[in-house]
Amino acid sequence: MSAFDNKRDSNLVSRIIIFLSPFLILLFFAFIQILNLSYFQAEDFKTQSESNRLYQSKIAPQRGFIFDSNNILLVENNIQQDLEINPNFIENPTIFLRQISDLLEIDFNQIESDFYIRSTGKNAKEPYLLIKDLTEKQIAKLSVNLNKIKGAEIISSFSRNVLHKEVMAPVIGYVGNVSKEEIFNNPELKSYKSLKIGKTGVEKDFDKLLRGVMGYRIQERDSFGKLVRNISIEPPSKGKDLKLSIDFELQKKLLNDFKGRKGALVAIEPKTGLIRALISSPSYDPNLLNTINDYEEVKNLFSDKDSPLFNRAISGQYPPASTLKPFVGMAALEAKTISWEKEIFDSGEYLVEGDQRPYKGWKEGGHGNVDMKKAIVESSDVYFYSLAYDLTINNLSPFLEKFGYGEKSGLTKNESKGILPSRKWKLGYKGEAWFKGDTINMGIGQGYMTATPLQIAVAYAALANKGEIVQPRIIEKIGNSETVKIAKNNVFLSDDKNWKRIEEALLAVVEASNGTANNIYDRNIRIAGKTGTAQVKSIGETEYKLLREDKSLRDHALFVGYGPVENPKLVVVAIIENGESGSAVAAPIVRKAINLYSKNEK
Amino acid sequence: MKNNPLSFSVNLRINKNQNQSSQFDYWILLSVVLLCSFGLAMIYSSSNSLEMTIRQGIYFLAGLIGMLILAFSNHRKMEVFYLHSFWPVLLLLFFVLLFPSENSETKRWIDLGLFTFQPSELMRFILPISAASFLTRNLETKIKDMWLVIILTFFCFYLVAIQPDLGTSLIILLAGLLPVIIAGFPWIYIFLGGFITILFLPIIWISLYEYQKQRILTLFNPEADIYGAGWNIVQSKIAVGSGGLFGKGFLNGSQSQLNFIPESHSDFIFSVVAEEFGLLGVCILFLIYGILIYRLLLVSIYSPNKFAKIVSGTLSIILLAYISINISMVIGLLPVVGMPLPFLSQGGTALIVNLLTIGIILSLRKEV
Repeated sequence: MSAFDNKRDSNLVSRIIIFLSPFLILLFFAFIQILNLSYFQAEDFKTQSESNRLYQSKIAPQRGFIFDSNNILLVENNIQQDLEINPNFIENPTIFLRQISDLLEIDFNQIESDFYIRSTGKNAKEPYLLIKDLTEKQIAKLSVNLNKIKGAEIISSFSRNVLHKEVMAPVIGYVGNVSKEEIFNNPELKSYKSLKIGKTGVEKDFDKLLRGVMGYRIQERDSFGKLVRNISIEPPSKGKDLKLSIDFELQKKLLNDFKGRKGALVAIEPKTGLIRALISSPSYDPNLLNTINDYEEVKNLFSDKDSPLFNRAISGQYPPASTLKPFVGMAALEAKTISWEKEIFDSGEYLVEGDQRPYKGWKEGGHGNVDMKKAIVESSDVYFYSLAYDLTINNLSPFLEKFGYGEKSGLTKNESKGILPSRKWKLGYKGEAWFKGDTINMGIGQGYMTATPLQIAVAYAALANKGEIVQPRIIEKIGNSETVKIAKNNVFLSDDKNWKRIEEALLAVVEASNGTANNIYDRNIRIAGKTGTAQVKSIGETEYKLLREDKSLRDHALFVGYGPVENPKLVVVAIIENGESGSAVAAPIVRKAINLYSKNEK
Repeated sequence: MKNNPLSFSVNLRINKNQNQSSQFDYWILLSVVLLCSFGLAMIYSSSNSLEMTIRQGIYFLAGLIGMLILAFSNHRKMEVFYLHSFWPVLLLLFFVLLFPSENSETKRWIDLGLFTFQPSELMRFILPISAASFLTRNLETKIKDMWLVIILTFFCFYLVAIQPDLGTSLIILLAGLLPVIIAGFPWIYIFLGGFITILFLPIIWISLYEYQKQRILTLFNPEADIYGAGWNIVQSKIAVGSGGLFGKGFLNGSQSQLNFIPESHSDFIFSVVAEEFGLLGVCILFLIYGILIYRLLLVSIYSPNKFAKIVSGTLSIILLAYISINISMVIGLLPVVGMPLPFLSQGGTALIVNLLTIGIILSLRKEV
């Protein structure tokens, strides 16, 4: 071999080495990267690999049942099977949806639009229910074919079923999806997002007890979403069952009397504060909202001008009207601006110095000379105008406050406070000074004053209890533990006999021949009560006659009563909107309620 | 010692002064068998298919026999055959474009009923041998011959690139140009060629298929579309990273076992190795590859024969190119191109071709 050849040979080798080196360098960088991935970032990637294969899913707890006071089942859960899909595992949505629609005999366009609405949102990659409430046939077909369809799974869930629909709706309320606002107010709800939570009524107030505790399941799944195995399961725990104080049979019978009328009824046991009936009419079918199948129906429900979803019994703010008179009388007795015996002449009008317009009584020509008892029995307006005028607002408001007017009773967060006017209130809300005329109107429960049926019931329960105020409650038992009576500050009168005398007057409203509610007199059961006619608008006489033609502007009829007076079992408030006469339409319902309830008690 | 075929040469360097013409390099055989066996285990782990593993095993045995036959052949007699074998393979390249297998979207495969094979794989093996024997048929290599090889190489590159198979076409470019370069192509032209290539990069970019562009783009930001084009890279990086130092154990890699890595039995098999055997397994793999390449390079360094130098040099570089590009692609350093990991990835043609490559180099080694 010549020297020349040797030189050429080493040239060849050096060229080989030169062209080998880029790949050696690449391999070196690759090794550095591997070191970086599997040594320096190993923990990070291990977590990612775990989250790749492990899926945590929730197991929904069953919501607690609700029973009435006689253990009649009111609310249960239906088990339904839904089709859940996981968009991550769907390779070709069109083929996927076509398979589903062929299999389940569902309109392709329908599920396609559902799918795309959901898949373009913020949570596009999260699993969701594509088809709810599958039929037996669909389940059978699906379970045979599901292993061929990636990304779909049958899961079971519970839907809320209110058994007696309209009868219990105002008490029970309905459930619905968790809203963003609710999560903002209560971050705990975040983990319950897949569930429905109470929106109104007992469902809302006792949601935390009813909803139970979420269970969890950790599963290993492959990249197609197919279940490999369950790794751990933490079972959910069912929500607590509730026993309501509501007497379902009573409630059902009383609701019958509201057919076609707007109004409310609250029946409360004065000794315990337990609510035995709570009606708001018109009512609705809560199941329409518990499982929404027909959006049109739901829309109608929300836009109904009679507002069936509005709970009149706890949120309806009505002028207490003449039902306030006994309290005005008691306030005047306490302030010693009047005595039981003192008579005031009722000419049908009450005139105040400096006020042009006379304050009219409801009865043309007036009641003549009236004392306190007669004023209550015949419901003299002029007597109480005069009482209120002498009493002044500074004495009247604080006295009414003791009976719970102007504040929530504590039954539920959803109730309204009503309005207990005072100088301060009027300045704050109306920006006006208090006029004497305002006090005069308040004497007969009109003007600015409003109260909910529930508040009126609580105030009259205090009359029935001779001063003992109870907090109303609607739950008798949570699970197996009984709820207890919640006592409040009692009302003390300077003369204890006044309780008895007020009761006698209220008794005479029903029993005396001149009583405004004499029409409901029944020898067998003694009921003390008071009628009321709440003016929707305060107007003059001529205008009033014209307005009467418009039904929605007619006066609200009120009656509140309790009985039997020897041992009051039930205080009942009934309001019939635009019913005009308390004695004619509201009082018979109250008597019926007390009758039915006392019979059952025996 | 030298007469005992079972004793391995302790001294890795071949003593040139010794007459070792009959010595067979057991280091090469051992590393190849180790790699292939390891590959079979990995294919089983990632595919969970005994059938696929057995199939690959049969390819391995066939390739091993071919390798040994070539290794003990006389390369001087074979040279004429090598010289002309280019043409039938070129015909096959045409054939596959005109009559592609219907089972695949790309025109890469020839379906022979019992098995399918890729002519492009065959070409990247035949081209350098054929070119080397063409360039060395005279004592002095003529520059005219070099140009002819370059032109034919680009033609083959084009035929494979339009299949389309970017990865293999680039390897074919390498396989055709390297013999020319090693044979002494003037540096000035090499630099010029490199310069022109850089100038033409934008045009090459434009002529790429959309999915090829996508692969290159996702390289820079694989997390941008985790369920789309970036899926492979993200998932294989998770596999490599989560393997840690010692791996999750054989058949225990969740990424590959639960099908998070597509193609984990073929192009992405490295991620399975890294996931199940960790950094330690990767180091051992690198060590075996290192021994193999080193022993192959020794042939081109110590062989007095120019043909042998060119062939073993080119084939060693191509082997290293496959290894480095495949691994870089799996860990997200390079775009995803269809390049299997030599001896490990599932795929019959590539395995047999790689084994035949080793066989040729072993036959050349007898000249050392």
